[in-house]
Amino acid sequence: MSQTVKKRIFTVVKILVGALLLVIQVYPIFYVITSSMKTTDDFRQLASYALPSHFNIDNYIKVFTTSSMVTYFKNSIIITVGVLVPLLIISFMAGFALSKIKFRGNKKILNFLMLGLMLPFQVALIPLFTIFNNMGILNTYPAVILPQIAFSLSYSIQLFYSFSKFLPDEIIEAAIIDGCTPFRTFIRIVIPMSTNSLLTVATMQGVFTWNDFINAYTFTKSTTMKTVTLGLNDFVGFMGTTDWGATFAAITITVLPTFIFYFITSKSMLSGLTAGAVKG
Amino acid sequence: MQKAFGRKKVLLMFLLPALVIYVLFVVVSVVWAGFYSFFDWSGVGEKTFIGIQNYLQLAKDATFWATVGHTLIYTVICVVIQVLCGLLFAIFLSRVTKGRAILQTLYYVPVVISSVAICQIFSKLLSVTPTGVINAVFSVFNPSMATMEWISNSHVALYVAAFVEGYKYLGLYMVIFYAALIGVPKDLEEAAIVDGANVAQQYWNVKIPYIKPVIISNCILVLNGSLRSFDISYLLTSGGPGNASELMSTYMYKQAFSSMKYGYGSSIAMAIVVICMIVGFAFRRVSERGDTA
Repeated sequence: MSQTVKKRIFTVVKILVGALLLVIQVYPIFYVITSSMKTTDDFRQLASYALPSHFNIDNYIKVFTTSSMVTYFKNSIIITVGVLVPLLIISFMAGFALSKIKFRGNKKILNFLMLGLMLPFQVALIPLFTIFNNMGILNTYPAVILPQIAFSLSYSIQLFYSFSKFLPDEIIEAAIIDGCTPFRTFIRIVIPMSTNSLLTVATMQGVFTWNDFINAYTFTKSTTMKTVTLGLNDFVGFMGTTDWGATFAAITITVLPTFIFYFITSKSMLSGLTAGAVKG
Repeated sequence: MQKAFGRKKVLLMFLLPALVIYVLFVVVSVVWAGFYSFFDWSGVGEKTFIGIQNYLQLAKDATFWATVGHTLIYTVICVVIQVLCGLLFAIFLSRVTKGRAILQTLYYVPVVISSVAICQIFSKLLSVTPTGVINAVFSVFNPSMATMEWISNSHVALYVAAFVEGYKYLGLYMVIFYAALIGVPKDLEEAAIVDGANVAQQYWNVKIPYIKPVIISNCILVLNGSLRSFDISYLLTSGGPGNASELMSTYMYKQAFSSMKYGYGSSIAMAIVVICMIVGFAFRRVSERGDTA
């Protein structure tokens, strides 16, 4: 077999494999989007894999008119921002300090913080539930936000720790010599040099927080405090009959922000991860 | 730099916020759960100190041990799907020349969908009446598959839940592996080619050994993620049928928040902590030994 024929076969195989993987990874969301336009009759009469009989946005109208989707969005946005901003600041400071500053007990503190990677979050649910209950802050934003910050710290610090190793010492040194205080150096020099790593951690933790189920499920009680993930169950009726059209429309709406966020940041996320990956 | 940053005040400023929140929520919760585990308590009213009664009951609780077994099976399946398939996806991606960025983004899609949504999607895809997409596809090859039960079938429910969990996060590990693979220095690859290595040999002998630290850290992430996984089993199969797909964490949750046995639930929580620690340290031991060998 000549070289070119071989190459061509490889190309065809590659395209086939790529397409197969694409179908596996993307089909569910394709199914959701197409099904969100199906009418109740479509669900009853058409085969499950069939496309909707006609273009129809009734399900979307239903989502916004029959459920408090707007409130859920507001809650999810407040919670996601409330988790992300403090989390990024404190985990970046800690990760940076642990990787760049040499001091006694450095390794011990790192290992102590990394224990959190092994602790299952559910362990904290019973104590936190009773503590929050006694403090009267169940069903408030802090009750959902604080545990998520605390339990995301270990992984975020680990990521920032490995990213910070790649920051050139010389530039930080130069800023200090020029009379910058350590805090100003961090704000003015370190943070601007680390946009890729910040975006990487922000994307990962932002998506996790947006999609969080167990915190919101355990620590909130009222409809006014529900997040978008909990709101997805609004269309499951009492008898276990689900309004699938509305559910799929709701999924489409709630997934949209994470898609947009990911599409925008995916490039910086990849370069952030590439920098931090191998040195671990 | 060491001088300026190394001062106590500066160090405290950088480390204290993280340490305070970590200790206040993570460490205190675990200690607190340990404290509750010695009581008989329904969440309201008086706590009764009962010593290690909860642990004695736990040791005899066949359902709990079944959930430990389920969790281990679940974890193994997740490691295979997320680490092995994630690595294969990444290798494939690194061989693609055209449209790589778009493929990488699209392969990641399931990761950004919430587990609530994923469970709803899969309960529809796997449904039997009306015939869901998956049964419809399988019935092309074998007509009897049209009526195959997945979620309510005690023989496969656990595997289905583990598969969905593995599937959901595969893209995340793929991206990390891919980032590691493209970070392999070009001269290593070129040296291998000069030595006459074919593509498979380049990966097996050069690239994969080079990214071994990433493989290990991903394994740890998957191990920890699956040992404590909750959402899919709780939402997709509700631990059922019976307790065929009940995991340690869902069992704990139900004991505490549905059966209102906070003390007993806390003792399960402590058992989960111990099991996670043992598995975590054991894995670290094994992977470090592999390093020196």
